Amino acid sequence: MATAGAGKQARFKCLRCGYEYTDVYAPDRERTCPKCRSNSVRRLRK
Amino acid sequence: MMDAGRHPNIELMTYTEIENITGYVGNFHVTVRRKARFVDESECTACGDCVPVCPVIRPNEFEMGLSTRRAIYIPFPQAVPAAYLINIDECLGDVPIACGKCLEACDKKCIDFDMKDRIERFEVGAIIVATGLDVFDPTGLDEYGYTRYPNVITSLEFERLISAGGPTEGHFIRPSDRKQPKRIGFIQCVGSRTEISPDGPNPDGSRGHPYCSNICCMNTVKDSLLLKDHYPDTEITVFYMDIRAFGKGFEDLYRSSKEKGVRYVRGLPGKIREDPTTHNLLVTVENTTAGRLETHELDMVVLSVGFVPPEDGHIKKLLTLSNTSDGFLLEAHPKLRPVDAPAKGVFFAGCVESPKDIKDSVTQASAAAARAQRLLNKDRVSVEAITAWVDHDLCTACGICVKVCPYGAITADPKQKIKAVVTEASCAGCGACAAECPQDAIVMRNFTDLQIMAQVEAALAENPEEKTLVFACNWCSYAGADLAGVSRLQYPANTRVVRTMCSGRVDEDFVWRAFELGAAMVLVSGCHFGDCHYMTANHHTQKRVDKMWDRMERWGIRPERLQLEWISAAEGQKFARVMREIEEMRRQVTREEIEETKAIIAKRWRKRRK
Repeated sequence: MATAGAGKQARFKCLRCGYEYTDVYAPDRERTCPKCRSNSVRRLRK
Repeated sequence: MMDAGRHPNIELMTYTEIENITGYVGNFHVTVRRKARFVDESECTACGDCVPVCPVIRPNEFEMGLSTRRAIYIPFPQAVPAAYLINIDECLGDVPIACGKCLEACDKKCIDFDMKDRIERFEVGAIIVATGLDVFDPTGLDEYGYTRYPNVITSLEFERLISAGGPTEGHFIRPSDRKQPKRIGFIQCVGSRTEISPDGPNPDGSRGHPYCSNICCMNTVKDSLLLKDHYPDTEITVFYMDIRAFGKGFEDLYRSSKEKGVRYVRGLPGKIREDPTTHNLLVTVENTTAGRLETHELDMVVLSVGFVPPEDGHIKKLLTLSNTSDGFLLEAHPKLRPVDAPAKGVFFAGCVESPKDIKDSVTQASAAAARAQRLLNKDRVSVEAITAWVDHDLCTACGICVKVCPYGAITADPKQKIKAVVTEASCAGCGACAAECPQDAIVMRNFTDLQIMAQVEAALAENPEEKTLVFACNWCSYAGADLAGVSRLQYPANTRVVRTMCSGRVDEDFVWRAFELGAAMVLVSGCHFGDCHYMTANHHTQKRVDKMWDRMERWGIRPERLQLEWISAAEGQKFARVMREIEEMRRQVTREEIEETKAIIAKRWRKRRK
């Protein structure tokens, strides 16, 4: 299934520690917070 | 190969490509394209009279380009059938003015330029995928000078040079001056065990891959022994990170190689330079055992190249297969079903699943054949009672379930309003379709919405504001929670776990119902990406939770109250840690917030349900 925005830069927020960062949006890749290693990482939309 | 070609129960289709595969376990429909050879393989006696007259000369792929072949050729000496074929893209044609010399040379008149590709269709009960692997291309490693220095070769080129059937008939010579090299170096781990990092020197994997290619160490040990047997006075140096000689008799071979005088230097060379007059190679390396920088002058360097997964994604797509993070195909279970594909009736043999040596490939191929035979001997296929079925009174033929099914087990046609039908023999029971169905028309046997809702309600029947509700997938997270328990790891006692076969089964409704009942925190937990027992079903979990977070924000509920975590069966400690962290978050959720959430859910979710 094609996902909109895949391969583009996106803002992410960790819902465990609150850390925000920018990364490439890859729907087929596991998201992990670079700070606390949690997987509860939300892709922020504008 | 010869045995397979002669076996009465094996039909070997060479020079053939798979066009399409449909159907399911026990009933696969396969369409193949049998490419035109332009030589009648049943008549050709491989006399070779056509070869010398062919004027087209091309590099011989089997000999790694170290010798040439003609446009009419046998791909390799042991090929079955032992018959010639014409590469029509290279051939000048049969028009006499252009060429047609092979036609004249062939006494048996086997050559037919009017031959066409043939499409054949047949049915099979099981499929064994044995498409092998590719070799790492070392041209990206400029420091080794593979493209600049003629005496830097790969281990595959070495195999051809030392082979009695190779281009030099087994006389080992170096390419620059055709003299026998006296000092040979082997460099290990070329293209293997190299980190890929977006910010590092290897962002795209062109300098290598993170995994060990498994056989390179023993291949070098074997090559060194071969050289010592043929040319005892050859000085051999092996540059390595560590020698991985596990396996029956391998340590003895390694020791034998050292006893015969092969020198092992722990350290990988940083750079190779060439003496332009002699074409000798100067290899600079940090010998980490001796703790010094050394420069070795060698006549020839062999790059022990690793392996990469085959690029062909066609078969993978046709059979709805998935791959692990290293690019090799994902097995149904790494320990319990190592030769089974997640798709039923499909099995793996050899390096398509992971790099392995001949012995392991034969073992796996035997196991795959036995697994396939066991399947074919049955009249009926049993499936676990966890498959999906569609209530056609509710189905609107939207086709969402077709898109999310990792196994291609559902058919529907939204344009013609043909409602969804589940091929139960192909269904593995992940439940992603049931979770995504907007009409709740798909029912998972033994994991129905009603059954799971009942569990949610029971778990939150008393003091729900003090509970954390966890949806855990059967294979990884539930087993991880179990491991935490049996390991006596401390995690909060107010954790309530609801088991689903896959995290992809966790319907939005389950989460909203939990919040409506007053749950303070909800955790959705599944297998790590690449480990999902239902291939990519957990990717849909991520997307669904993303949507729920957005919705929670719109509705005025803190998205932090819904957590997502990938926990494997071996990560009992992670499960305990995550639950402790979530408990900290739960304590910050006030009763007022919970009451407010209940009111929002009652209004928004119930309205949406109507």
